Amino acid sequence: MILERDGSRDPGTIEDGLLVVETERFHGPLDLLLHLIRTQDIDIFDIPIARITRQFLTAIEEMHDGDVDEAGEFLEMAATLVRIKARMLLPGPADDEDHDPRAELVRRLLEYEQIREIASRLRSAEDDRGRRFGKGFVQPRSRPPLMDAPLTVTWEDVFAAALAIEAPVEREREHRVETRPVSMREKVDLIVAAVTQRRRIEFAKLIAPWKERIHGVMTFLAGLELGRRRVVTLRQTEPFSPLWIYRGPNAGIGSADPSADEEALR
Amino acid sequence: MNDASIVEAILFASDAPLAAGDIVRADEALDEDRVEAALTALRDEYDRSGRAFELRLVADGYQLITRPEFAPYLERFDTVPRTSRLSGPALEALAIVAYRQPISRVEVEYIRGVNSTGVIRTLLDRGLIEAVGRGEGVGRPVLYGTTGRFMEHFGFASLDDLPRPDELPVVLRDGTPLEGEADAEG
Repeated sequence: MILERDGSRDPGTIEDGLLVVETERFHGPLDLLLHLIRTQDIDIFDIPIARITRQFLTAIEEMHDGDVDEAGEFLEMAATLVRIKARMLLPGPADDEDHDPRAELVRRLLEYEQIREIASRLRSAEDDRGRRFGKGFVQPRSRPPLMDAPLTVTWEDVFAAALAIEAPVEREREHRVETRPVSMREKVDLIVAAVTQRRRIEFAKLIAPWKERIHGVMTFLAGLELGRRRVVTLRQTEPFSPLWIYRGPNAGIGSADPSADEEALR
Repeated sequence: MNDASIVEAILFASDAPLAAGDIVRADEALDEDRVEAALTALRDEYDRSGRAFELRLVADGYQLITRPEFAPYLERFDTVPRTSRLSGPALEALAIVAYRQPISRVEVEYIRGVNSTGVIRTLLDRGLIEAVGRGEGVGRPVLYGTTGRFMEHFGFASLDDLPRPDELPVVLRDGTPLEGEADAEG
């Protein structure tokens, strides 16, 4: 039979003087002791020490793999109980209230019981407070990070991509392609000129006149460099959507300083 | 522009409790009496018109907070971490500190009958108690007391909101809660 302290606080049933208590459920030896007293309707001012000590010892024997500190605290209380029991057996001024060996234990038990009551009132107050909210409780939903955006491809996209592939052109063996070097300086000027005329320009428009990939690469690098110097602002609403280049807060400053651009070229 | 509207604007914009003494700063014409009167007028108005929020005195300051019956709706917005409930042992230790402050760890442990290093640490970390001085005796132990955060956590206006011993089923001869907050001794 298991008694559960945190449950409905059923009065403990005692069969043949055997009382099994789940000690882990108790916050400490005082909690357990109070449980034994209160569930058996014992007068706290006249605790039958022999009986309570026996029940307490039985209960802590049931303690499994509890940590050493906790076991020590329960054993210390057991020792206190045994000492009180021994004192009561000794002849002396036992009838004198002030010398009742149980007095300090009773005082501690009552004090602990009061604290437990206060703790339960604090719990109610905490629960009540938890149902009331001040400003700032509800915040706007944060936007999902770009990395988490799923890449969605439909069959039509794949089909369109397949159709777009052209058969490779047979190259003339002897022909040599001389690429005109593309400088970043040139692309910086292109972007600055574009955002000077209008507030924003789409990246694709800037590279449209050229077929070679190098123009796209250099324009992109120039865009990044200008973005870093805040001459322009780069915006893209979601992955793979059009990239827009906006006039930035430092527009007109960076382009006027050619040395900085030379720096960036290196 | 009447006093109540000015006070309402300040409370609306604040996310922490404000004392009447803080609100006074809003206008030269205001004094604490007029602010208190405005606060009373606002509280009555909110109660009468059945607003979703009310004016509450929390930790010696006034704050607009929602009424508990709206909790189920608000709780669907879990974007702000809720203040978690304290464990049973932590509540016990906190109750002892609240009623016996200033008090040392060893005294708390004697009353609870168990080691309380961990729970005291938790209460300190959560700002519910703080060191308020040092006691006499061996090692001059650190003494702890409750904080303004403690008041806010439980929605108490002051320590007077704690249950009084004569309201409790178990009455102790010397179990009176201490009045006022203990002063720090540096």
